[in-house]
This record gives sequence, C-alpha cells and structure tokens, in this order.
Amino acid sequence: MTLMRAFRAGLGAVLCLSAISCGGGSGGSTPPPPPPPPPPTSNVASVIVDQGPSGNSVNTLFTSITVCAPGSTTSCQTIDHIQVDTGSYGLRLIAPLTVTLPVQMLASGNSLVECTQFVDGFSWGPVALADITIAGETASSLPVQVIGDSRFPTVPTGCSGTGTAEDTVATFGANGILGIGPFELDCGDCDTNAAEGVYYACASATSCTETTVPTAMQVSNPVTHFAADNNGSIIDLPAVAATGAVTLSGSLIFGIDTQSNNQSGTETVLTLDGMAELAITFNGATLANSFIDSGSNGIFFADSNIPTCTATGLTTFYCPGSTQTLGLSIQGANGAMVNNLTFGVGNTQTMLNANPTFNVFPQLAGTLPAGNAGTFDYGLAFFYGKRVAVAVEGNMTSVGTGPYIAF
Amino acid sequence: MPIFRSGEFKIAARLCAVLIAALGPRIAGATLGEAETSVQSDVAQLRASIKTSEDRASYRVHEIQLPSGTVLREFVAPSGTVFAVAWHGPSKPDLRQALGKYFDAFVSAPKLKFADRRHLQIQQGDLIVQGSGHMRTLSGRAYLVSAIPGGVSLGDLQ
Repeated sequence: MTLMRAFRAGLGAVLCLSAISCGGGSGGSTPPPPPPPPPPTSNVASVIVDQGPSGNSVNTLFTSITVCAPGSTTSCQTIDHIQVDTGSYGLRLIAPLTVTLPVQMLASGNSLVECTQFVDGFSWGPVALADITIAGETASSLPVQVIGDSRFPTVPTGCSGTGTAEDTVATFGANGILGIGPFELDCGDCDTNAAEGVYYACASATSCTETTVPTAMQVSNPVTHFAADNNGSIIDLPAVAATGAVTLSGSLIFGIDTQSNNQSGTETVLTLDGMAELAITFNGATLANSFIDSGSNGIFFADSNIPTCTATGLTTFYCPGSTQTLGLSIQGANGAMVNNLTFGVGNTQTMLNANPTFNVFPQLAGTLPAGNAGTFDYGLAFFYGKRVAVAVEGNMTSVGTGPYIAF
Repeated sequence: MPIFRSGEFKIAARLCAVLIAALGPRIAGATLGEAETSVQSDVAQLRASIKTSEDRASYRVHEIQLPSGTVLREFVAPSGTVFAVAWHGPSKPDLRQALGKYFDAFVSAPKLKFADRRHLQIQQGDLIVQGSGHMRTLSGRAYLVSAIPGGVSLGDLQ
C-alpha cells in the first residue's frame, strides 16, 4: 500500500512538474490568446534505489509500471519495484499477476515461452501481450515475459540446464525488470537460430521444444515501442555521500531531444559495439569488453592488489584496509573519450556494518573472475550524480545515432 | 531405392529419438572431472563441432563451437582428466552436460549475498563456478581446484 501511495505521489509530482512548465501567465488583454499547444506526453517516471521487495537489494534502481490486458482500460495492474536495467532488453514481470495477459501463439499453434538467460540463472515463462504505461508513455500489445507463470510450470531440461531458477520475487529480487538497454531485442538471432535456447514452442504446458521466433513476437525494449519519445532514455540521479544512503530518488526520462526536458547538451557521446560494450582503460590496461550497466549492483573489475572480503557471501567484494581512489578512462567505439574519471573502492564489510540500513553504496566494488581480464563492469554507481543517456540502436538524436551512451 | 518407406522411416526416426532420449542421461556425464574422451560425447550431445584442439605447456584445450554461437572450451590435464570448462557467447551451454556430476552441487549452492544477475561465484568443495556478463553476452567457467595442473594460471582458463 505504501508503495502504491509512493507511486501515486510520484505520478502526481510529475503531473505537477508538467503543469508548472506548461502554465505561464499571459499578460495581454485584447487579442484572444492562441490555443495552447497540446500538452506534451509526460515522459518522466520516478525511480528509486531502495531495499527492494526481497529486502536485501543494494544499488538497484526501481520504478513502477502499469500493465493492462491488450485493449482494456479496466483489466489493469500497477506494479511497483520493477528494476530499471540498461543491461537487458524487454519487460519481464514476476507471476502471479492480478491481470491475465494472453500468451502469444506461434504460427504452428504452439505457445511461445521463453528461457531468459542471466549470468547466475534463468527465468522461465510465457511471452504474453500487454498494453503498458509508464509516466505518460504507452506501448500497445507489447510482447512481455511473465516469469513463473503457473500456466507453464514445467521447465524443459535444456533451460534448467543453464543454472538455477529465478522465478519468484524472492529469487529475482524485484517484481519485474524493465530492460531499456541500447538494443531492441533480447536475442541477436533468435529469428533464425533456435539453438540459442532462449525461445521455446510449447504444444502443451509440459511439452516444449526450442524454436525460432519472428522478431515482432520477441520480448523487446519497450522504449522502442512507445508512440513517442522512443529513441532512448535518460537516467538522472543525484549525487550521494561516499558512505551511501538509505534511498536515492531520481528520474527516468524517456526520449532524447524529443522534448524540452531531454535535450542533448555538451555530454560526450560514446558509441557501443555489437555487444553493447566499450573500452575502459584501468590500471594501465585497456579492457575492450567493458560496459556501463544500471543492472550491476557494484563496480566490478579485476585488481589483485586489493584484498577481498572474508565474510560469507561477500568473498567476491573488495575489502581494502582503507578507501582506495582509483582512476579510469572510457572510450567509445567511435573513438570518443572521457578521461580521468575517479571512483572510490570502500571496505565492503566496514560500510555494511557502519550503516546496515543503507541500500545505496557508491563505493561498493567487487572482483571479476581472473579469466575475465578484458572487462570492467561499472554498475549503477556510475549513474549517481550523473545524467546518463542511452540511445537505442538505429535511432538518431541531435548528437548521434544509437547504440550509444552519453553523459 | 529407399531403405525405408516413408512410414517405416518415421517409425525408425521415432525409435531413434526414443533411444537417444533414453540413453542421453546415461552417456558418460561428460566433461568436468571426466576423461578426455568425454569431450567427444559433449560434442555429440551438444550438437556441436570441435573448432580447435591446442596443446599448451601443461594442458590441452578443446574449443567446441556450439550451434547457439557460444564457444565452449574444455581443458584437459596431462592425466587425461577435464579439469576446467569455460564458455563465452550469446547464451550459456547446457551446464548439466558440461559440468556432469558436478551440476547438482552447482545448482544447490548458495548464491552471493548481493546477487544481481550479472555475476556468479559458487564454491562447493573442490568446485568453483564463476560467471559475468550481460544479456546477449555471457561468460563463465567451472573448474576443480585440486585438479588444476601445476603451472596453470587461473587467467588462462577462459
């Protein structure tokens, strides 16, 4: 209930803001004022970093979204704590939902079900259609995944063979995920290659086989399906104290250069490669497979000079004797560079012990496997105190063509 | 002259499918902790092909191209045992196949305190499984600590 109120309050604040920007006194008397322009689509969603519905999230960004059965204005549900993720594509919701969304049927007559693969597990559930609304933006009949849907309880062995299930709010850490990264589709070649093991055709609830699927039926980045403001998005978060905070609130702004509140300025545009990656130079090495990702909850890199923590469950996080200040440079596929950024690496155990109620930790950093020497994964902490634009592939703004990240 | 009439062929194909399904799980769990011959059964099970087999200083690497686009590498010690597997590509390999008898330990292991769908770190006895990446690009590896030949750097196992 509190979350619903928070959402309504957020919505109210947004409406308020647009009212302020649209309002304005007219001083004249005689000529009738021209008709006001149609109000722009409200394109700002409230976002927050908090403990999440599982109660143990850190550096995880959430928003709310309204989902309706296609064509309905009454069969709807507003869902809070949907994770905002620039490292994935598509909207996924954890069942059970109060609204029933129709599962997409393949030309074969079989139901379309997805095995979404994450690094640490998989999420199994049908691909259904929904009308979605976030801020004032809408996407109609959007393919979305319903994870853990009781209509398809049996996970094929090919899917369960990729790891552990993340099909409940507790195991997923969110009520859903909003993938708004720089690509449109959640699979690069699933229209022609069934062997990815991502999409399945289910003749029944228990009989599913890998399948190809037309791109229009695949789960895809909702931003690209908005009627307006559909070329990308901007995450705008305030700075936070080095020690962290309980929560952090900001804005998710849809569109780039489509309205007065999402104009490009003097930021540097770093284009991304075919993996949505760029190069980060750190400790004298250029790490060509790096990425900036709101869905990563720490700053992850390999540095054998920084000790890791010893506490159970924390052994992949860093625990230096004192806070380390390190530097890096970022280079886009277009050659554009942002030099001399610095970041702090705190002692994870110390920061958790000092502020056990905090959920925002800008200096939380961890290791990558030693074999993964070509990657620097800069998570949500990168977004703190910045306004970061992510343009989707093939879409133009006044300063470039996606896929790019700009800040 | 066809060996089977079409009806017979269908029946034979179904029989084959049933046989494969029945035998599949029993074909040597393959790979991690198994003999090098299990690499070939992996290739068959995963409908894959061996791209390269390379002898390095203290081990041999078989690089297997999976039809998903993902590359799976299997590292073989001089003793002939597969001591590590590593993968990189758009989707994960069938880890039930690649981890063999260690798969159950892998999936039953506790997760990190702060899981975020981008990282994986599991240690269960001798088994370590690690991963990183993001949607459409996933990397990972699994190895047996005690089976790593002398002189092998963890950084080589990718």
